[in-house]
Amino acid sequence: MNESIPAITANNVVKHYGGSASPVVALKNISLEIRDNEFFTLLGPSGCGKTTLLRLIAGFEQVTDGKIMLFDDEIANLEPSQRPVNTVFQHYALFPHMTVAQNVAFGLERLKKPRSEIETTVNEVLTLVKMKHLADRSPNQLSGGQQQRVALARALAPSPKVLLLDEPLSALDLKLRQAMREELKQLQRETGITFVFVTHDQEEALSMSDRIAVMSEGEVQQIGRPTDIYEHPVNRFVADFIGDTNFLDGEIMSIDDDLVTCRVGTQSMFEAENSGGHKVGDQVSLFLRPEKITLSPQSETIGTDTRPGKVANIIYLGNQAAYTVDIGGGIELIAQARPREDGNLPFAIGDSLAVGFSARALRVLAQ
Amino acid sequence: MTVHINKPATGNKAKRILPVGHYRGLGAWTVFFFIFLYLPIVVLIFYSFNANRMVMNWGGFGIDWYIKAFQNDDIQKAVWNSLIVATVATVFATAIATIGALVLARGGNFRGKTVSLGLITLPLMVPEIVTAVAVLIFFSAIGMNWGLGNVIIAHITFCIPFAFMPIRARLEGMDTSLEQAARDLYASEWETFRFVTAPLLMPGIVAGSMLSFVISMDDFIITLMVGGAGSTTLPVYIYSMIRRGLTPEINAVSTVLLFFSVAIVTAYWIVSNKSQTKTVH
Repeated sequence: MNESIPAITANNVVKHYGGSASPVVALKNISLEIRDNEFFTLLGPSGCGKTTLLRLIAGFEQVTDGKIMLFDDEIANLEPSQRPVNTVFQHYALFPHMTVAQNVAFGLERLKKPRSEIETTVNEVLTLVKMKHLADRSPNQLSGGQQQRVALARALAPSPKVLLLDEPLSALDLKLRQAMREELKQLQRETGITFVFVTHDQEEALSMSDRIAVMSEGEVQQIGRPTDIYEHPVNRFVADFIGDTNFLDGEIMSIDDDLVTCRVGTQSMFEAENSGGHKVGDQVSLFLRPEKITLSPQSETIGTDTRPGKVANIIYLGNQAAYTVDIGGGIELIAQARPREDGNLPFAIGDSLAVGFSARALRVLAQ
Repeated sequence: MTVHINKPATGNKAKRILPVGHYRGLGAWTVFFFIFLYLPIVVLIFYSFNANRMVMNWGGFGIDWYIKAFQNDDIQKAVWNSLIVATVATVFATAIATIGALVLARGGNFRGKTVSLGLITLPLMVPEIVTAVAVLIFFSAIGMNWGLGNVIIAHITFCIPFAFMPIRARLEGMDTSLEQAARDLYASEWETFRFVTAPLLMPGIVAGSMLSFVISMDDFIITLMVGGAGSTTLPVYIYSMIRRGLTPEINAVSTVLLFFSVAIVTAYWIVSNKSQTKTVH
């Protein structure tokens, strides 16, 4: 389809629940564009409005104000049955009184497709999701993962312009969830259909999405590629919600072209990358990912980028360990280290070591 | 995994919460309770096979009273009336109850919703004699005299709440995302009802109609008040037989009525159990 026109455009979408006297605000003022052919994720904690936005696109809820465009068409006031988008529901919502094949054929039958075409399409999509051999089963004879596949097939069968997925993996166990991530991503690439995926799981979002919209309290906090969101969060909420993070609260003491110098606590000074827009005296949070910190034995040189530290706590996670390191001045950082080849951890609680991180790994966020 | 581990545990716990065997005498009390409930009915059935003319004097086994009852034109007429009233009342009551339940469970929030719910179930709590007198006065006030038609209309009114309750319970237990999924898959509102809501609601509708059929078959007070000559139903006829003198014929008719009701309830139970294993995950 046309590359230049977004698949979904939300313009100043507002959603209130309840009467106008004391409304509950679900979406404050959302504007975003979802590109054609894209795997787009709405990510946020529960109650952030991500599911509401999805339901507005599907047509299960009516916007209080604003516009929703599907390519060139305004759809905000259409019935769900008039919108060429389909939904994969959180608990699948398969029709229990129909077989797998009848479930998948349902949408095509409502669209009055010819019998032969329906049969072909049902076979195709069931093959696509590897469920063809169970076409005559009833949904409650299937496992959760299989029901998930049928729900996908049912939503894909009418070839929607956009596929909406409402936390579809949340009811599956961990192994299956991880396997389904890859399959979903692959399915999206094969079909070329725009996927709008709702989740509260940041790992799911990072691993599958082309772009992510991080939402909180009815507002979009940041939209970007997974690496943008992870490496360059625009505010403290995004930095905190995605991945593990160290925050150092302090005050800007001086600014030059490349670097901002901050005082954290009473005496510790940190240099961070100058992302612009700051002034001396600002109260800010410095943000540092644990994997950007290197831990090395103290005997090695303490250079400009390293500080002396002491191991305060260790959380062993198998493939790595999370170290809490005291670097003085009342500051503790979370860092990571891999076990050595013999399986033992490189440091023990109480060990003194060198804590290294470059100024480029530190970013300044408003508090 | 956790589910598998937890299940037997909760099962054991449930057993421990109710240590019935610990209370001495509870077993005997239970037996007494069931005797109290069912002994009169057993005696009624027993004496329906009495060959003697007197109800309480055993004169040997015989099915003469059943034959006599079946050959009695008045009884046949009464059974026929009962069946007509129960069938027509059930059809209307179930249809009205279904629409009411759909509006109350799926119609969103509207003014007077709680009041409507209260009003539709209120007849269950109104003393039957009050309803009977009210309906009788109402019919005579408007000068309506349709014979069996009056009885049918009265039966529809009190059958509605009985039909309503299982239908509403079924609707409340149904996941609304099923209907949303249908709408999402291009079904119109009618098609959503036709292909998704109605088939899933069927066990509730069957339950409601069977309940209202049995209630209507069994009704005495309202029918006695409203029904004029020629619209005698079976319960009313049995009552009039008793006034003329007790014969085992009454026992025979009552026994047939009893087994008919039990058969309907059993049929419902089988139907609903089957569809439950089929439709509820």
